[in-house]
Amino acid sequence: MRLLSAGLLFLAAAAAVTATFLPLSELLIRLTPDQPQTAYVTTGWSTRFGATEDEHGPLFGIPAVAAAVAVLVGVRWWKVAFAGAAALAGVTGMLFVYLLNAISFHRQGNITIDPGLEAGFGNGMWVLIAATIVAFGAVVVHPDD
Amino acid sequence: MIGRPTAVALIAAGVVLTATAMVLPWYSTAYAGNIEVVVRAWGTEVVNKPGDWPAGELSPWYGLPVAVAVALLIAGIWVSRAALAGAAAQLGAVGITAVLVVSERGHALEQQGDFAIGFGLVFLAIGTLVALTGAIAVQRERA
Repeated sequence: MRLLSAGLLFLAAAAAVTATFLPLSELLIRLTPDQPQTAYVTTGWSTRFGATEDEHGPLFGIPAVAAAVAVLVGVRWWKVAFAGAAALAGVTGMLFVYLLNAISFHRQGNITIDPGLEAGFGNGMWVLIAATIVAFGAVVVHPDD
Repeated sequence: MIGRPTAVALIAAGVVLTATAMVLPWYSTAYAGNIEVVVRAWGTEVVNKPGDWPAGELSPWYGLPVAVAVALLIAGIWVSRAALAGAAAQLGAVGITAVLVVSERGHALEQQGDFAIGFGLVFLAIGTLVALTGAIAVQRERA
């Protein structure tokens, strides 16, 4: 059980860190009908519109990585694993709530420019949610419980 | 060492501080022409919104994850593990809020806005740390 728990905690931490480099939310929009789509992509470390990077983009990766570190340290102590998984859940929950609104804002604000625009969560969000679930799974089988 | 009654009192104080944060403004930006954007736990209010601003509202319910964390903290008064989960989850959620505030401040200053931190954010930060201290102390008491 110790090996299984450690393996799951490692997997959860690795997934959480990977998620910060994947798109958390995406907006694909045609600014004029004859142009190709421009992508507006938010990751844990940058917000880009086409080739332009928002220099004040939020660094969501920082709290996500901090929670991932706590999850890793949890290999040694059950309570740290539990707290790390909870912190990861807090990060994921707040990010989800923020992005859900931001995505609907992007859609409403731009639907007149391009009725065929696509706005939604990126794979990073799903990986982050999966990481949270795996982390709690590891806590359940942790031998110090 | 902090005894159990003190630890529980710290958790309760954290809950009260966080609950207060839920009704106070978190941060705001004032722009020329008496325009002000005020962000709270349950939405964003734009005072004197100009006609050429985007139609939709960028107005997330930041209070929702915080409310879940607070519910766990309250349960933590009786079940010590719930206190740890609540405090850690609230810390994680506040971490996302912190990086958002830094980003929003950058955008506000770039657009010549007058950015100000509200009491809600101060209460939220102090409430989170106080609750976390209490939650950790309660764990030690049980060990």
